[in-house]
Amino acid sequence: MLLDADNITVKYGHDTPLKDVSMCVHEGEFIGLIGPNGAGKTTLLRVLLGLVKPKTGHISYTDARIGYVPQRGNLYNSQIPMSVLEVVRLGARDSAAALEALQRVSMDSFAPKPFTELSGGQQQRVAIAKALAGQPHILLLDEPTTGIDEASQHEFYDILRGLQGQGYTIIMVSHDVDAVLNLVTRVICLNQTILYDGAPEHFESDKYLPGLYKAQHRLLHHHHDAHGQEKHHA
Amino acid sequence: MLDILQYSFMVRAFIAGLLIAVTVPVLGTFLVARRYSLITDSLSHVSLAGVGAGLLFGGTPVLVAIPVTVGGALLLEWLRQKQRLSGEIGLAILMSGGLALAVVFANLAQGANTDFTSYLFGSITTTAPSDLIILACAALLSLAIVAFNYRGLQHIAFDEDSAHIAGYRVQTLNYVLAALTALLVVLSLRIVGGLLISALLVVPVVTASLFARSFGATIRGGVLLAVVAILAGLTVAFYAGIAAGGAIVLSSLVLLIGAMIIKS
Repeated sequence: MLLDADNITVKYGHDTPLKDVSMCVHEGEFIGLIGPNGAGKTTLLRVLLGLVKPKTGHISYTDARIGYVPQRGNLYNSQIPMSVLEVVRLGARDSAAALEALQRVSMDSFAPKPFTELSGGQQQRVAIAKALAGQPHILLLDEPTTGIDEASQHEFYDILRGLQGQGYTIIMVSHDVDAVLNLVTRVICLNQTILYDGAPEHFESDKYLPGLYKAQHRLLHHHHDAHGQEKHHA
Repeated sequence: MLDILQYSFMVRAFIAGLLIAVTVPVLGTFLVARRYSLITDSLSHVSLAGVGAGLLFGGTPVLVAIPVTVGGALLLEWLRQKQRLSGEIGLAILMSGGLALAVVFANLAQGANTDFTSYLFGSITTTAPSDLIILACAALLSLAIVAFNYRGLQHIAFDEDSAHIAGYRVQTLNYVLAALTALLVVLSLRIVGGLLISALLVVPVVTASLFARSFGATIRGGVLLAVVAILAGLTVAFYAGIAAGGAIVLSSLVLLIGAMIIKS
């Protein structure tokens, strides 16, 4: 076992984004973390990364190194240009290791280019290379395909599939449920607590997700109706 | 051209200017990358309060200004990290508060007003040999600290969370960057002046970033442009008899405008 999270509860003021969440991660697993917006997916990832301290519960790691691919919106958007090689070098012990990591995502020919001149899909591949350069055991990805075109998404998923084949353990937060179900070996569906944790084949989308989404829809409809009636009365 | 070097005060001004030019854009690149370059405006005003206190209470103004400004920088960074105040508000309070204190101290220190003006806008005649020694030590110290922590500072500029996960002590490095910026702001006072130093931190870096394709190239370009701006500015200031800071900053702005024209 690489990682064991036990009864994690996170509170921000009156908000409780995570309540009694327990999960353990085994070597070679590809876990898809799904759930509606505001379900605490990113919070759980940040707890696993050590960026958020849980109110109760604890996490134990073996000495596994973690590679992190943040949401694309949080990536570099500075006035100061940074070359692709410099970006990957941040995660590597030397330039040779950085170049080797770039080769693994077929981006080595982009090494001298400024990072901000790449397309969204290319930036995400570089972000993967930066994570790989640190020779991690576990890769944690936060909504990695948000805002990139479909062809690039497929390329990106192929890269992840290849990495899993090479023995990497992967945890990916995503709202792209169909892609997740096709890709992963284990699905965790989260909405404050864990609703489902098991094989993707047995995950019944109708049972867990539409219910949640429907509840939101119903609220919306209700709101519209009330609004309409008010208009009518006026 | 060479007759200018017959004056020992000009030789000292050139040496001081070169020391500033090779150091300030290095820090400036990290500050601009983090969109935090306004910190230098606030710190320069705080440094003027330190100078005013030195003039009033009879210490060496620069030596009084160093602890005052470094203290201000650490306070500002602490407020930002604890989110007691939003970054901008902290900067604004320190900026106006610093200048207000500076003016009051300078007024109270009767007869020191002429001297105080040189701290506002810079001067070519006021660099003492002892200033050069302090400046050289500070430049060396700053460059060594940045070189030693280069990856960490760059990682924070790229993505603070990732830097944290990679094991860098993000908070400590943020304090270090703020303190070094404060130190160089104070030491640039005599040549560039408190009201103009922030331009020297930002303008050469932004000019270089228009053409550079990497972080390293931006730093090297920024240093080169700052060297040109300071040498040109000091020379113009000497022959035209104007404040050094104004001439230096205008030179760097000419370079920026030229670069923008070439780029477009």
